Amino acid sequence: MSLADICNISDYDSNRGTKNDFHQMCTNFTSNMSLGVPPFANAVANIGNMAKDDSGRSIKINFDHGTTTLGFMYKGGVVLAVDSRATGGQFIGSQTMKKIVEINDFLLGTLAGGAADCVYWDRVLAKQCRMYELRNRERISVAAASKLMANMVYNYKGMGLSMGMMLAGWDKRGPQLYYVDSDGTRTPGKVFSVGSGSIYAMGVLDSGYKWDLTDDEAYDLGRRSIYHATHRDAYSGGIVRVYHMKETGWVHIDNNDCNDLHYKYKAEKEDLENTII
Amino acid sequence: MFATENAYYPDYSTKPIQHSFSPYADNGGSVVAIAGDDFVVVGADTRLSAGFSIYTREQNKLFPLSNTTVLGCSGCWCDTLTLTRILKSRMQMYHQEHNKVMSTTACAQMLSTMLYYKRFFPYYISNILVGLDNEGKGCIYSYDPIGHCEKTTYRAGGSAGALLQPLLDNQIGQKNLTKVSAESITQEKALAILKDVFISAAERDIYTGDNVMINIITKDGIKEDNFELRKD
Amino acid sequence: MSILAYNGGAMVAMKGENCVSIATDRRFGIQAQTIATNFEKVFQMGPHLYVGLPGLATDTQTVMEKLRFRKNLYELKENRLMSPKVFAAMLSNLLYEKRFGPFFVEPVVAGLMPKTYEPYICNMDLIGCINPPNDFVVGGTASAQLYGMCEALWEPNLGPEDLFETTSQALINAFDRDAISGWGATVYIIEKDKVTIKNLKTRMD
Repeated sequence: MSLADICNISDYDSNRGTKNDFHQMCTNFTSNMSLGVPPFANAVANIGNMAKDDSGRSIKINFDHGTTTLGFMYKGGVVLAVDSRATGGQFIGSQTMKKIVEINDFLLGTLAGGAADCVYWDRVLAKQCRMYELRNRERISVAAASKLMANMVYNYKGMGLSMGMMLAGWDKRGPQLYYVDSDGTRTPGKVFSVGSGSIYAMGVLDSGYKWDLTDDEAYDLGRRSIYHATHRDAYSGGIVRVYHMKETGWVHIDNNDCNDLHYKYKAEKEDLENTII
Repeated sequence: MFATENAYYPDYSTKPIQHSFSPYADNGGSVVAIAGDDFVVVGADTRLSAGFSIYTREQNKLFPLSNTTVLGCSGCWCDTLTLTRILKSRMQMYHQEHNKVMSTTACAQMLSTMLYYKRFFPYYISNILVGLDNEGKGCIYSYDPIGHCEKTTYRAGGSAGALLQPLLDNQIGQKNLTKVSAESITQEKALAILKDVFISAAERDIYTGDNVMINIITKDGIKEDNFELRKD
Repeated sequence: MSILAYNGGAMVAMKGENCVSIATDRRFGIQAQTIATNFEKVFQMGPHLYVGLPGLATDTQTVMEKLRFRKNLYELKENRLMSPKVFAAMLSNLLYEKRFGPFFVEPVVAGLMPKTYEPYICNMDLIGCINPPNDFVVGGTASAQLYGMCEALWEPNLGPEDLFETTSQALINAFDRDAISGWGATVYIIEKDKVTIKNLKTRMD
């Protein structure tokens, strides 16, 4: 005991991995940013080599992947619209995933890419935003929140995180929309679409977008853009969720099943064709 | 000349031997869970296998964590052992610190965070956590290997997950049916469907078979049940 | 990613009481992108004979043309209809000729034997190993999901109406859990004196 004191290692036992490994196996409980390190160098390249069992059969670790999301600013605030499909490989793991995270009453995050990555870091961000509020007695600005996010994920750059998110909020400078991704990109903008179906969504969104949309026009534009993406893109589908960020906080507008939307839009199109003739 | 001859005698080869690190194994197994208004049933087969050989025919893959929470695991068995050991320790620490048992919802979030800790060297497990929520309703949380969590009312996971999930969509989720009943599922019906889907899985999935261990969770606690599957 | 999953597609065939069914989705895609939703993967090869060719779309069409050519030649030479069994053997041969550079299709054959009208179904792998079971066969990218569905829903001696219901439910629920198949479905019910073709209304995402 005294020798340990002299050597200044009296807490040696408590740090030893084997004795207290349940502390060591979840250090992110107390420090959200300290994740476990893999027992080999260059995790991104080597994790693939390990994914084989003793007999050489490959082991598939399929993470859930999220897909089409969009957000745009117009005179009434910010509209976010997302699909709800989660795919692991080709298998549809879920048709009801929530891809908009309600960080607080004035901040929404969308998620695309690795579902677990987005949800975990959004939760960490939510905690940090709340801490900021308690320390500074005012809500965090969207610019600051997005920068917190970008800085956190930048620390893991090159480790294989996969996320492309939009942060929408309303702070004292008005409505805000930021795009943040796992490469560390962070940029404000008026119109974004993220995910594998984003090319299809952007096509519809751009053709119908203008600053002076009414609220209902804006919701319909978001809904339609996501619907068309779900129709063309195999990895998007399920439910279209629409959110609106207002001065008074976010409002959940509605959820629509893609199946209902398809046959509704189809009927509308046929009606239109019949009236022209 | 030598190079080709040595190919037949690896022990005498002068070439460097390539070693690889393969920490993962797929030990198979399936877990199915169905939730109702005041109960939840979860079943897991008891076959533990690797490739074409069976380690044991009687491995329980359900881990009761409290009186209202059960975890079902399939995938890499060594990862399962580590994960459940740490999870149980954490549950006990929570109990002693707060003097109350951890709720199913809290446990669900904790499991997600624990799985994400190993984001860069994941636990290779398909987890399904079931239990009763704070209002006593049955709930199911299903996870991907790195901790993405979703709350559902029915779920099939593990090696026969892809075979069984569409069947549950049809039979419980009433997908693609013209006549949809508004009644919620009864415990008897849930058990009957659970048994049927395992019998189907055992026909086509070689990693699922032998026995099914069932846990029925109600406000009165956890009841165990068991039935046999084909053993070939 | 496997070449067999480049275009996507799901297929199932079932035996019933004096009838058989074959059903397929209608998607033609290139990986994640859906190009068309009216693509034919099941072809009529005789009054009571259908073949489905899920897999790589280009090979679906090539193999279909080659099959039709060989089948027509057989029918001209022999002056009689080709039975499903002979057709399957011929298809198996055709595929095995390309043992080391195969066509990327996993065929499904469904039909009634001429004269006896006995149901016949089989599927094979991409190099032509025939598997003729007594209940159902599946093929394409949603095969795991289809096995699960069919194993639970199929029962012996289904009449044409019940067979239609079982086949459609099995197919639709299976491909709703597969990202790269779906977008409409077609079911063929083959009976002694008629063939019913129905297009199903499905999810389009």
